Amino acid sequence: MPLDTSSYSLALLRVDGRRWNELRRINAQIRTQAAADGSSYLEMGHTKVMCVVTGPSEPFGPARVGRTGAGAGATAGASGGEAGVVVSIVVAGFSSVDRKRRGRGDKRIQELQSTISSALAASLHTHLFPHSTISISLHVLSQDGSLLAALINAATLACVDAGIPMTDYVAACTAGSTSTYAANDESADPLLDLNHQEEQELPGLTVATLGDSDRVAVLVCESRVQVSRLEGMLAVGVDGCKQVRAILDRVVRDKGRKMVQEGTVQKGVGLEDMEVD
Amino acid sequence: MASLKRSVDPGTVGSNISSKVYVRSTKSGKVQKIVREVYLRQDIPCSSRLCQACLKSAPRDAAGRPTPFVLSEQPAGTREFPQGHYLVPDTNAFLTAMDLFEQSSAFYDVVVLQIVLEEVRNRSLPLYNRLISLTKSEDKRFYVFFNEFRLETYINREDGESVNDRNDRAVRKAVKWYGEHLARSAARKAQKAPAVVMLSNDRDNLRKARAEGLPACSLAEYVNQLKDGERLLDMIPETQDREVTEGKKKPGEHLYPEYFSMSKMMTGVKGGVLHQGIFNVSPYNYLEGSIRVPAFPKALLILGRENINRAVDGDLVVVEVLPKDQWKEPSTQVIEEEAMTKNENPDTEEGSDLVSEKERKALQEEVKRTQAQKTEGHPIPTAKVVGVIKRNWRQYVGHIDQSSVSQSSQQGRKQDTVFVIPMDKKIPKIRLRTRQVAELVGKRILVTIDAWDRDSRHPVGHFIRSLGELETKAAETEALLLEWDVQYRPFPKTVLDCLPKEGHGWKVPESKDDPGWRDRADLRDLLICSIDPIGCQDIDDALHSRPLPNGNFEVGVHIADVSHFVKPNNAMDAEASIRGTTVYLVDKRIDMLPMLLGTDLCSLKPYVERYAFSVIWELTPDADIVNARFTKSVIKSREAFSYEQAQLRVDDESQQDDLTKSIRTLLALSRKLKQKRLDAGALSLSSPEVKVQMESETSDPIDVKVKQLLDTMSLVEEFMLLANTSVAAKIYEAFPQTAILRRHAAPPKTNFDELGNQLRVKRGLELNVESSRALADSLDRCVDPANPFFNTLVRIMATRCMMSAEYFCSGTQAYPEFRHYGLASDIYTHFTSPIRRYADLVAHRQLAAAIEYEAVDPSVRSRGKLEAVCKNINVRHRNAQMAGRASIAYYVGQSLKGKETIEDGFVIKIFSNGFVVLVPRFGVESLIRLRDLHDPEPQAEYDAENYVLKTSGSREVTVELFQKVRVRVTDQKDESTGKRGVKMDLVDTYGR
Ligand SMILES: [Zn+2]
Repeated sequence: MPLDTSSYSLALLRVDGRRWNELRRINAQIRTQAAADGSSYLEMGHTKVMCVVTGPSEPFGPARVGRTGAGAGATAGASGGEAGVVVSIVVAGFSSVDRKRRGRGDKRIQELQSTISSALAASLHTHLFPHSTISISLHVLSQDGSLLAALINAATLACVDAGIPMTDYVAACTAGSTSTYAANDESADPLLDLNHQEEQELPGLTVATLGDSDRVAVLVCESRVQVSRLEGMLAVGVDGCKQVRAILDRVVRDKGRKMVQEGTVQKGVGLEDMEVD
Repeated sequence: MASLKRSVDPGTVGSNISSKVYVRSTKSGKVQKIVREVYLRQDIPCSSRLCQACLKSAPRDAAGRPTPFVLSEQPAGTREFPQGHYLVPDTNAFLTAMDLFEQSSAFYDVVVLQIVLEEVRNRSLPLYNRLISLTKSEDKRFYVFFNEFRLETYINREDGESVNDRNDRAVRKAVKWYGEHLARSAARKAQKAPAVVMLSNDRDNLRKARAEGLPACSLAEYVNQLKDGERLLDMIPETQDREVTEGKKKPGEHLYPEYFSMSKMMTGVKGGVLHQGIFNVSPYNYLEGSIRVPAFPKALLILGRENINRAVDGDLVVVEVLPKDQWKEPSTQVIEEEAMTKNENPDTEEGSDLVSEKERKALQEEVKRTQAQKTEGHPIPTAKVVGVIKRNWRQYVGHIDQSSVSQSSQQGRKQDTVFVIPMDKKIPKIRLRTRQVAELVGKRILVTIDAWDRDSRHPVGHFIRSLGELETKAAETEALLLEWDVQYRPFPKTVLDCLPKEGHGWKVPESKDDPGWRDRADLRDLLICSIDPIGCQDIDDALHSRPLPNGNFEVGVHIADVSHFVKPNNAMDAEASIRGTTVYLVDKRIDMLPMLLGTDLCSLKPYVERYAFSVIWELTPDADIVNARFTKSVIKSREAFSYEQAQLRVDDESQQDDLTKSIRTLLALSRKLKQKRLDAGALSLSSPEVKVQMESETSDPIDVKVKQLLDTMSLVEEFMLLANTSVAAKIYEAFPQTAILRRHAAPPKTNFDELGNQLRVKRGLELNVESSRALADSLDRCVDPANPFFNTLVRIMATRCMMSAEYFCSGTQAYPEFRHYGLASDIYTHFTSPIRRYADLVAHRQLAAAIEYEAVDPSVRSRGKLEAVCKNINVRHRNAQMAGRASIAYYVGQSLKGKETIEDGFVIKIFSNGFVVLVPRFGVESLIRLRDLHDPEPQAEYDAENYVLKTSGSREVTVELFQKVRVRVTDQKDESTGKRGVKMDLVDTYGR
């Protein structure tokens, strides 16, 4: 077994060889499923998720209006004037080492669903699609920490692919601290993008920002940490979100350029603004 | 929104990300497949001060501080590497010879590879911790190089390659890279690069390294090149040495049965066929061990060398119960290792029989005896050791058995094998190979056990260092501290840096606006005094009392406010938590906190203002608590009394001042408190306590006195108990999960079986152990009109049947388990001695948080951390007691040197070939064997049922349990253990 997170102070290296301010490798694709309205696949290190977006679509029958999310996922903004954002997450049994099955009613999954749903609802222009539903279906294929962040990023990409108007990317990542709460170490370094082992051993938070701004869209912190360390962690997290946004943006632009080259889409007016060159 | 504060510009620091290359490596665990990413990089520095290239890309932390380079620019040279060298040891080198690396004479500039660190951690956590502390020491210059993360030194495991082979290859790869890298760096500076030398005791690895043209040495080869190599050579473990130099094993019979495999043991334990527990050796018989396992109410017996099968006292072992026809009674015979194995030759033991003729005879006599009385005997299940889960080996203090030293080795410097006899009688003698027998004979030495192979009668160890001449005060004191693992080195600078910078000039601030006065009660006008033993410098506690208008009394216990000076998690706190307690030896005190705090700033000295933590009660004249309050305070003690002074003052009717009156009030209240405790069933136990009087000039011991008990001692004790109990209730209320408390479990009834039977048979007394109350009452009834000491004797023996009290974290036990059996209190903690006990300091922090004086520090709320603290201080507490007792025993021996006295003693234990006598006057007990009675040894008849030993032949005496005898007490240097100890001879049996 490799060393644990306490060895950071020996050479300022984390358990996987990264420095404190480095993201893991992020690999993303959009339009992975041609049949879907919008789809994406995203890897942050070994955390691998897939997303399919359907909609915005009118509900099939009157019976489903208003209770769409109750059974299958979390809904945000489903009141009459705006489109509802329904998020459902399926965690594959093989995604984690212990192969634990998580049912649909699992409290943690419900919490993730509602967090993602409200984060995206704030960025998507849901008011353009009254009485309709945007349903986001996420599949977790592999887990190695920062799951919520990966899910948010994948959902953002899929929504872009689906062509749903939105204010800006919602880009997310995690931040942590190099020593535990109990160690109460004032000089602890903040950490960017926690993997599973770090998440288990160290305090951490998930942050998502809107586009290039410092506007925080999601902030989830489930571990105990001294308040004095929080600001440093948050700053690192927000910087990380900007790096993530740049990566997501590049994925979208690359795909756009490719599609133009392949002739899948015509180069339109809008695309000229995207500086395809 | 306001922009967040950012300490560094992310643009510059993150610039090396783009140059990263990713390789994923799969590491398989036992069952689960764990896939971990490894990010390979080129900015991990070599950390040599010689190198300019690495300096540019040196990593910085979040505050932008670079890590300083560790390895010296001009490292020391050796014969073979005159240009200087860096060492790169492999895992085995650290595992087997950590002591070498901790030497101050050599082993500087060492590169610890990540892969090596990982392997050391997997193999032994204590060694890993020692290695980590080496890397943190500034002068040793140990650098951890993360070879697994550096692109150039990372390697993939090849098909068919074992993990060990792959790791060895990784070590060689790193050595190679270091060599080339430094050569480049040095060339740029036109210097000669230091050699990078791989250290290994693995022959295969050494061979491969040489084939690749890498500089490589075995430990022995390397040490040979050093200046004081000869001394260090002894520290190289025996087993490895043999592997490297001989590489072959003698064929032949194994002496001991083979251990089961780990999985077989685990399955067996799970299935209830095998049992797991801690192996204990009988203090009177080195061939008899016992082990407590959950499946049996009484401890299982393990008899004889073969069944003990290389287990050493304290090891965690797995045993198999033997068939019923092999069950035996515990031995009634004293068997001492020195006497039995005196003539063994350390060199030629390999081929000899496992059980020597002498041992066999001793055991046979046992069997004969048991068979003779088969009808009435109660055989106890016996077992044999089938494997060791975890060794409890540590460093042992001992000395070389003079008789095992050959004449030639006294002169020459050739390697010789000798026996080392550990001070701890429960540890078997250790075979040691050394080149410096001549110097080491007659010295106290420190050794460790390396291994105990199946074909070696005795464990094999290696020499660490010499403590000095036997029987010199310095050597014996250090030996004692090492044996009980007491940290006695001076406090490091980091700890001293935590002290207030005013030093002895520190004062309670004059202005009450000072933050130090925040939420502190001003109790300076109270008539507070302290009562302690003579010469006490670290005054933890002080008291006061005054009458209240309503007829009640206000009583205050004021405890040194140590938590004001020792903040959680700084270096001083860490050191104190490791030390756990101050250790008191006869002539020496090893402090938990630096002197400045312990004897000055925290100490509640008289006539000066001091910070305190006060517990103040309103008590009725019957000593019932009306209310209690807790506050931080400032006090000014009026006087520091000794127990004797205070007693004189109280007894002197002419003293009518307020201070004396208040002590009288306290005394009256304390008597009532004591009566209440006794009514509740508190035990009054006893251990023979004596005091060594020293001559003031030479500090040589001149006399031994039995400790006198004064009322004033009981006064202080009662109020400290009251304060501890009140504080325990308060912190438990505030922190139900994490309060630090102290409990004393009720002893299992079987512990008293023997004593109960002895009292019944010998005196017709019944010992009732139903409850602490019943026990206290029945102990009170154990009196012998003809022998006033008898009651104390029974109490001493009962004390030895008790469990030991322990610290614990409240969340780990159910409330009924909190009970302190001995004090008959439902809840208890330690609060009153924070200068000398770490538990009290934690209780202070918790109480301060409970009364909202300060915020709760996470370290006193984290259950995991508190459990670790409790575990450590429980061990330290016990060790400190044992060290203190051993110190008294040593000085008692010294004070008897050259004297001869006749004293009264009592028989407390009887064997078939001897008996143990306790002499209260000196607080010592000693074994008198049959052969000590007369030469030639008299015949003896042992009546186990009635605890009577009757000798006949050359000398006729009858000795029975509890009997009063007269003995001649002399000192004797035991040639075999090297200890000066008390020797007793039976003079008279008072008419029997
Ligand atoms: Zn370098």
